[in-house]
Amino acid sequence: MEVRKADRKQKKFAARLKCSKGIVCTSIPTKFIVLCNVGQATGLSKEAIHLLLGEVPHNDTLPKYIAEKGESHSYLIFSSIQSCEKFYNMNNGKWKPDVKGPPVYMSYVENVPNSEIVCQYKDPQGLHIFSNFISNDEESLFLQLFDSEDDVNSSNLKNRYVKHYGYEFRYGSNDVDLTSPLEEKIPKECDNLWARLRDCGINLERIPDQMTVNKYLPGQGIPTHVDKHSPFGDTILSLSLGSDVVMDWKHHSGQHVPMLVPARSMLVMTGEARYDWQHGIQPRSWDPVLEQRLVTAENGEEKYVKVISNDTRSRDVRISLTFRWTRSGPCECNYKTLCDSVDKSTDNIEDSLASNLEELHVHQVYEKIAGHFSTTRHKPWPKVVEFMASVPPGAVVLDLGCGNGKNILKRNDILQIGGERSWGLLSECKSHVQRVPAADCVRLDLLQAGLRDECADAVICIAVIHHFSSKVRRIESISTISRLLRPEGKALITVWAKDQTKSNYLCKSKQTDDSVKNDEIHATVGGLSLPVHENRTQFQHNDLLVPWKLRNIKENKIAGQPESTLLRYYHVFEENELVNLCNEIPNLRVEKSFYEEGNWCVICKKI
Amino acid sequence: MKLITHNMLTSKCLKGVLQGYPLAINATDVKITEVDFNPEFVSRIIPKLDWNVLWGAADSLGHSEGLPKTVEPKYEDQEFLKKAHHVLLEVEIEEGTLTCPESGRQFPISKGIPNMLLTEAEVQ
Repeated sequence: MEVRKADRKQKKFAARLKCSKGIVCTSIPTKFIVLCNVGQATGLSKEAIHLLLGEVPHNDTLPKYIAEKGESHSYLIFSSIQSCEKFYNMNNGKWKPDVKGPPVYMSYVENVPNSEIVCQYKDPQGLHIFSNFISNDEESLFLQLFDSEDDVNSSNLKNRYVKHYGYEFRYGSNDVDLTSPLEEKIPKECDNLWARLRDCGINLERIPDQMTVNKYLPGQGIPTHVDKHSPFGDTILSLSLGSDVVMDWKHHSGQHVPMLVPARSMLVMTGEARYDWQHGIQPRSWDPVLEQRLVTAENGEEKYVKVISNDTRSRDVRISLTFRWTRSGPCECNYKTLCDSVDKSTDNIEDSLASNLEELHVHQVYEKIAGHFSTTRHKPWPKVVEFMASVPPGAVVLDLGCGNGKNILKRNDILQIGGERSWGLLSECKSHVQRVPAADCVRLDLLQAGLRDECADAVICIAVIHHFSSKVRRIESISTISRLLRPEGKALITVWAKDQTKSNYLCKSKQTDDSVKNDEIHATVGGLSLPVHENRTQFQHNDLLVPWKLRNIKENKIAGQPESTLLRYYHVFEENELVNLCNEIPNLRVEKSFYEEGNWCVICKKI
Repeated sequence: MKLITHNMLTSKCLKGVLQGYPLAINATDVKITEVDFNPEFVSRIIPKLDWNVLWGAADSLGHSEGLPKTVEPKYEDQEFLKKAHHVLLEVEIEEGTLTCPESGRQFPISKGIPNMLLTEAEVQ
């Protein structure tokens, strides 16, 4: 009777998993079991499983447990079919992780989801994490000292409790006011930390004079940030109490490294880690388990890699003590990208800063949105079609920044070559050009286009140059166009206009009068503070970040923040600005300049 | 990548490279796709190409048979135009590399797309 009931229940679950999740259950034993009605969402902990397995006689290593976030089913992976079968027979429909709850129903499956990510980057330079830096007793002492929720002085931030010693940390300006020190200094209980740091090889010239206590409940985190350079010295310390946590480290070059920061550890940021990396903690109640795994590389060499496993561990209350050294005057570091002391008053920003900004907020964004972007761009603009249709037979035409290739016409009497930087967009373009007789595409950068001088009879460069973030680079890009054109060859260049009043870009309901723009959002990118534009409204600035909302993005388990909105950098053009740029290029003559649907356009000729 | 495209590519943006042309082809996967023949287009495009480089490229892939080494400025010969059409538009390199003749820097061709991107340190 019992057996038949379990059988029936299990079949019901299997059918439900198949239709709602596409998981195919099988009655033939495999090494994999799906636990149909328990998982991360039902609160099944790994400990409960280990407890159960502890009672199971088996000679194997423990099975791996995969509980995907938000799912009410989970998986076990055994090292052999035999041990899997044994477990199944003993527990299916019988095991009750919660004594009062229903039993767990199981089924064999052919495979299990694998969302493991191999971290391909090295740990940040200058970052040191000393495990077991303090003893359990010392930890308890610190927790008694600093875990005082009722303290009237503790400020309550949006996402966590904080308290300051030595100097108040000002969250608006991310610095301290050196003229008004706090009465409460760093408690003397911290004093024996300094000698211990020296023993670890960290040389401190003096002891820190500012401390911030952060209390994180499970589910709370801190956005990705760099501790502002100029108000603080070249070393920052963080002592962790109460709970392990995974801290995400991000470098502006795109490197992303998750680091386990154990309870009772001392984290020391110096050099690159202090100045050139951002760090943050994701707001969630669990962390992925990071594993060091020995792998064999292609060349036969064995090495350890960091793997963000499928496994998760729940967080506890964590208290961190951050120690800083205050200072005054401009920062003297050699890491300019995130530095607040780098001059960025004009649009003549340094080339390295500009290329960094473009890498982060143009190139990387287009790679991420390529698929979605392409579905929103299928028709060429009428003025582009007009230009392309006027190109004489036998011409060589370059489409620089061709995107998905929508501007490449189905003509069989001209050669059309698309150049594009984004791999994602190029893949779309490649399948498009395969349906055009004489068309092809190349991955290139407009500033270093690997194409021969004077090879083109016509060039189009549509909605590209507004992504270059300095005037020098915008001129360089037009200079490339001129270099590639034959004498008498023509180019059509279009850029986004600042003035959108004569286009249908503006959304009427979003129009506000000019006085209401005080709550403008700024984002700091590569040390540059840029305004974030509100889509479908008139542009207020020339240099800004335009949000792109991704559809259906799953929670990214390694990213520092939910990245459903990406920011693209634009320089929107004033009237005549594009013409003036073209006029700076010798041999290029502007023949026609016009405004079309929110864009400034020029047709120019190589002379 | 079609051979007509190869005819336009150069690595001269590399630091220290003067011509960067022609790029040597090393193909591991070549495919032939049929493309509609437009004799007028072919005869008009040939004067804009470097014929020697085209011949060399075709030869390095084993597709130069029947293709004259030099080209006369008269293109009425349909057989010749057909052969040129085939080499220019129908022979495509799917996988392989392009190599800079001066520096030896390699540019991968993957899924039919040559990657000419350079790092900042490599640029003039």
